[in-house]
Amino acid sequence: MRRAAPIGAVFVALSAAGFAVFAQSESDEGFVDGLSFLGEPVTAADIAAGQALYAENCASCHGAELEGQPDWRRRLDTGRMPAPPHDDTGHTWHHSDRNLFIVTKGGVGAGVPGYESDMPAFEGVLTDDEIADVLAYIKSTWPDRQRKVQAEVSANDKGDL
Amino acid sequence: MTNRTELPRQTRRHLLATAFCAGATLTLPGKPQAAGRPTDIRLLGFDGDILMAAGATLTISPDGGRSWYERPTPTPVASVATHPARPGRILAGLAQGGVVVSDDGGATWTARSEGLVSGEVTALTVAAGNPDMFYAAIRGDGLWKSEDAGATWALAMDRPWLDEAERDPLTLASVDLETGMGGIWIYAGTEKGLTRVPDCFCRWQDVQPGNAMDALVAGDIPPAEAPLPTDEPVLSLASALTAPSTLYVALPSGVWASQDGGVVWAHKAEGQGKAIAVHPRDENHVAAILDGTLKLSRDGGATWTAIAAA
Repeated sequence: MRRAAPIGAVFVALSAAGFAVFAQSESDEGFVDGLSFLGEPVTAADIAAGQALYAENCASCHGAELEGQPDWRRRLDTGRMPAPPHDDTGHTWHHSDRNLFIVTKGGVGAGVPGYESDMPAFEGVLTDDEIADVLAYIKSTWPDRQRKVQAEVSANDKGDL
Repeated sequence: MTNRTELPRQTRRHLLATAFCAGATLTLPGKPQAAGRPTDIRLLGFDGDILMAAGATLTISPDGGRSWYERPTPTPVASVATHPARPGRILAGLAQGGVVVSDDGGATWTARSEGLVSGEVTALTVAAGNPDMFYAAIRGDGLWKSEDAGATWALAMDRPWLDEAERDPLTLASVDLETGMGGIWIYAGTEKGLTRVPDCFCRWQDVQPGNAMDALVAGDIPPAEAPLPTDEPVLSLASALTAPSTLYVALPSGVWASQDGGVVWAHKAEGQGKAIAVHPRDENHVAAILDGTLKLSRDGGATWTAIAAA
């Protein structure tokens, strides 16, 4: 599912990526230590690409700093829930890689049949690789504890995509 | 386990206890007496082998209903909860707002409501795997959580959305079944049926087979279901800690039971169901209020015996 980004795009994305990217330690192969998505290693370039895609496609609802919408635990007048944070204050890190991928690609209804949400399906908007990059970026921002818990949840999720 | 009712007039004892509960504990002697008329009982529970019944007052029976002892609460209760890892600890959600906790079987009570919004505590439960994690549903507000045995509270989640409106949980149960998200479920009974939320509080959702998402992704036919009647409120809900897939509910049509976490339900007893509780060490030992009578079952609801509650 990983893809090779053009060098120029990588440079631009890395420049914008900031602390989250450079705080990750990398192996000799360029993989970020302790971080994977759907069982595949993640590179700093993946994270940088994901951060740029997040800013373009997700930040308007989930917040530029992944902080979510205000008062996100309270229902909107429509009956739907606001966009939650994706940082460690939210619940994203409780979900497996597979669940996050399915929900991002197909909308929340793809993960919870019949559930109504303002979260759109990104199938046709982002490629599978781009969705993976966005989620890898989000995961890269989590503290160790949340990352470990989420890795365990992912390891226990034996379902298929 | 809880349900709603009109507030009775406060007694003098209730007023005294309310004043005392602000920052201290109140000790009241236990004395054998009637549990109150079964028709008044709105709540049932088990504190170990001790059966609890609450209506206008809380009473306990250590001997299967042969004798009853009053355990006055600061104000009338709207919900109660216990956990087998904390014998003698009883949580009471008050009809006038706030949570009080007793660590001596109801003899004394301490207020545990810091940070909790005001309003009737319609339902209470203790996390199945953590006896110091409490959940409280507040009428008209939402689901609140305390990670320190009630010392402090924080909003966990808004109320469930069912049939185009928010619904108050009338009863809660922490059900020790894995969500697939590193935690377990919290089930809620409402006037519009049963719903549940993972304890990461991502979203309220219908009770579905565990592999419903896989079936949806694969385009397969979803697993078989036999849901509860859709036109009845779920007044009381109990989860068996010894067999987490076993659930019991009390509905106006009677007692229903599920052996698979709430996907397939069987009608176990007819009658006006009002309250239900399951023994913490025996999933077949069930107490229920049916047609205004307190009844016990030792076989998972197949047969019932009326016991004297008054």
